[in-house]
Amino acid sequence: MNRVVFSITLQQVAGKRRTLFIGLFALIPVVLAVLVRTAGANVEHEQWAAEGLFPVVIIGALLPLAALIFGTAVLGSEFEEGTAVYLLTKPIPRRAIVLPKLIVAWLATGVVLLLTGSIAGMVALAGTGDMQIALGFTIATVIGALAYSALFVMLSVLTSHALIVGLGYVFLWEGVVTGLFTGTRILSIREYTLAIGDMLSGTPDVLFQAHLSETGAIVGLVAVVGLATWFAIAQLERWEITAGG
Amino acid sequence: MPDATQGSIYDLGYRGYDGPRLGRGYALLSLYIHSLRGVFGLGRRTGSKVFPIGLTVLAFIPAVIQLGIGALTESTVEFFHAHSYYGYTQVILALFCAAAAPPLAGRDQQTHTLSLYFSRSLERMDYAMAKFGALATALLALTLAPQVVLFIGNGLAGNDLRGYFGDEWTQVVPIVASAVVLCAFIAAISLVIAAQTPRRAYSTVSILAVFMLTWIVSSIVAELTEREIGLAALLLSPFHMMRGFTLFLFGETPGATSPLGIVDYPGWIYLLAAIAWTALAGYLIYRRYEGINA
Amino acid sequence: MSAAPSPDGARPASGTIELVNASRWYGNIVAVNDISFALGPGVTGLLGPNGAGKTTILHMLAGFLRPSNGNVLVLGEPAWRNVGMYRRVGLVQEREAVYEFLSGHDFVATSARLHGLPDPDDAAARAIDAVEMSEFAGRATGTYSKGMKQRIKVAAAIVHEPEVLLLDEPFNGMDPRQRLHMMDLLRGMAKAGKTIVFSSHILEEVERLAENVLVIVMGRLAASGDFRAIRKLMTGRPHTFTVRSSDNRALASAFIADPSVYGVDLDGSEALVVRTKELSAFALAAPRIAKEHQIRIVELRPTDESLESVFSYLVKQ
Repeated sequence: MNRVVFSITLQQVAGKRRTLFIGLFALIPVVLAVLVRTAGANVEHEQWAAEGLFPVVIIGALLPLAALIFGTAVLGSEFEEGTAVYLLTKPIPRRAIVLPKLIVAWLATGVVLLLTGSIAGMVALAGTGDMQIALGFTIATVIGALAYSALFVMLSVLTSHALIVGLGYVFLWEGVVTGLFTGTRILSIREYTLAIGDMLSGTPDVLFQAHLSETGAIVGLVAVVGLATWFAIAQLERWEITAGG
Repeated sequence: MPDATQGSIYDLGYRGYDGPRLGRGYALLSLYIHSLRGVFGLGRRTGSKVFPIGLTVLAFIPAVIQLGIGALTESTVEFFHAHSYYGYTQVILALFCAAAAPPLAGRDQQTHTLSLYFSRSLERMDYAMAKFGALATALLALTLAPQVVLFIGNGLAGNDLRGYFGDEWTQVVPIVASAVVLCAFIAAISLVIAAQTPRRAYSTVSILAVFMLTWIVSSIVAELTEREIGLAALLLSPFHMMRGFTLFLFGETPGATSPLGIVDYPGWIYLLAAIAWTALAGYLIYRRYEGINA
Repeated sequence: MSAAPSPDGARPASGTIELVNASRWYGNIVAVNDISFALGPGVTGLLGPNGAGKTTILHMLAGFLRPSNGNVLVLGEPAWRNVGMYRRVGLVQEREAVYEFLSGHDFVATSARLHGLPDPDDAAARAIDAVEMSEFAGRATGTYSKGMKQRIKVAAAIVHEPEVLLLDEPFNGMDPRQRLHMMDLLRGMAKAGKTIVFSSHILEEVERLAENVLVIVMGRLAASGDFRAIRKLMTGRPHTFTVRSSDNRALASAFIADPSVYGVDLDGSEALVVRTKELSAFALAAPRIAKEHQIRIVELRPTDESLESVFSYLVKQ
């Protein structure tokens, strides 16, 4: 863990534009919760939170999008803007570059989801339902954020098209393929996150039931974080500058 | 040897061109073709071809499956219907737009070559038109082309190919009409977002988010709130509008439990809304290039 | 290539920088083709047209490209995947960007911190002073001009006082005064025993700064050494002299009669241009011929000893 790299990365991520951009996304679940609360017709609040708000809106869309933006920014923007060499010509092991950057991506994604998840959850459930649903799923998103961040940081070292590959993974693989071929669910961070959320929120099976077991999800998360981080470090160690002359 | 200290102009034999010029229309056509090739990464390095061509191939998968079923078995079952085809491929279409629109609209801004275009016979309106036309045309390869394959595939599924085409030729009108409206619609939406910033990261994520988030959110709003609010939400969601006007053009009705069915408004609304959005987005793209400092 | 000297053995086998039969290719394109050389302290210029392979060589030296074949050694160790090397090596890239949100001082001090220097702010101040950027150190680097960015990048690359400094086209975007100052700075570092390698496609820069030149043409080492020495070795190539005398026309006819001369041009009435392939023979013959014909030579100077002519000769080979 390198404090200097950590602090530079924090400053990179905390740009005004990016904060505004993510802020807009993060508002969506809150606005939606308010809308359903005020204009909803015959809404079962706990059911809506456990079936729609958390698994579909927050875990299905917002979590991967926020992690994608931060995960590809922390290291990918260094390659895109051409500052990577400044960092790589320093006598520090490559893991001391990857790890702080991963942690910043995770922290940033986690903070955004903690805010949007708790506020939207509160709006959806306050006074009418079991707040543990909101709490459990929100904590699960923060855990899932680490796996997504690790995956996207790795992608940003591997390819300059990390965004499109990442979006394809999230919306084609996790969104479509795992729905068609249920066997592929064991390779889905969304399913791991949902399983953890199921466990932590203690929702009864009638409201929400994850496809994967808790143990499967924990093994999957550990494997994704471990492998992606290891691979990102290994790739950075053998990173070659493009465009020779 | 001429005396360099005296000012003088040498006649090097250069001559001005005063013959006919190809003019604005030709410039527009050239930029359109160049942009269209660029969408598929033609004339660029291999890395730029992988995603557009890969996604185009994916958009054919349902049609190819149907074709395979029709060719290899005696089954007459239509697994994939023309009026529902975009329901299977909409995520692919969105990914294609997210990958293609940002470089199409942003590359000239990024490399500061926009001023070079505008100093030629090309007008700003032409530039916007060429870019929009290129993306919309490219999208036909992911929409109309698979529909044609599907049409043939469904024909093969029955034993009587000639009879099938004889009965079903009226389908050609909605197939073409829905594909054309759809391509213009999502091309305009994608470009209006992409034209706002040369930063690829923002526009790529924004385009995909506009398609996917509105889809998710509007489905929920349609399901959980009153009809009027539901309709308003659906008219903000490109995927739902696509579904709505495609069903309308084919003369089909949405399933009762689907968001469109729950809200239950006539289908022409979605067609009208899609055309209105396309016009608005087109106007905003034009405004953007009128106002840009180049 | 017969005229070019064999680079092997031309210099001592061990230096701070060494390429041993190094090649690098991208797919089917060969960027660097079997190059060997060894360098010690001092300023070395990598000269060559754009696309010759200069940047590829610098990137291999900096450990950012793996040699496809052969070895690239810096301070006795392979450069590829050698993170520890950066303690003693600095790199200034041509296109590298700066963190625009940092001030000049912070940019350099951050570099010092990443190098683990004991007093990063002090080291940064010294490096910034060396590139004459102290006045602007408080400003965000995003507001800098191209030349200022270039200088702050140099400061960030020398903050840890590296033994080897690699620079890719370092003078791009600098005004003439900054250019002179940067040359002084690099000369000073070289005098202090550092190894400086810089690339350039501008002959004047290399000629003025480099004690030692490596001419790279189409991925191959076309020549190396002091450029005047290179010139001498190119025996197949005519040397040209400009001669002014009391009677140019008479001298021309006398010169052309001598076997050491194989061409004479009358350049107006002002001067003669003499071409010879035998430098020493002509040097002996010229005064003798002038004396015999009682012509007074006012001026006799080699016209083409600039690097440019050497270079264009090598490129044409």
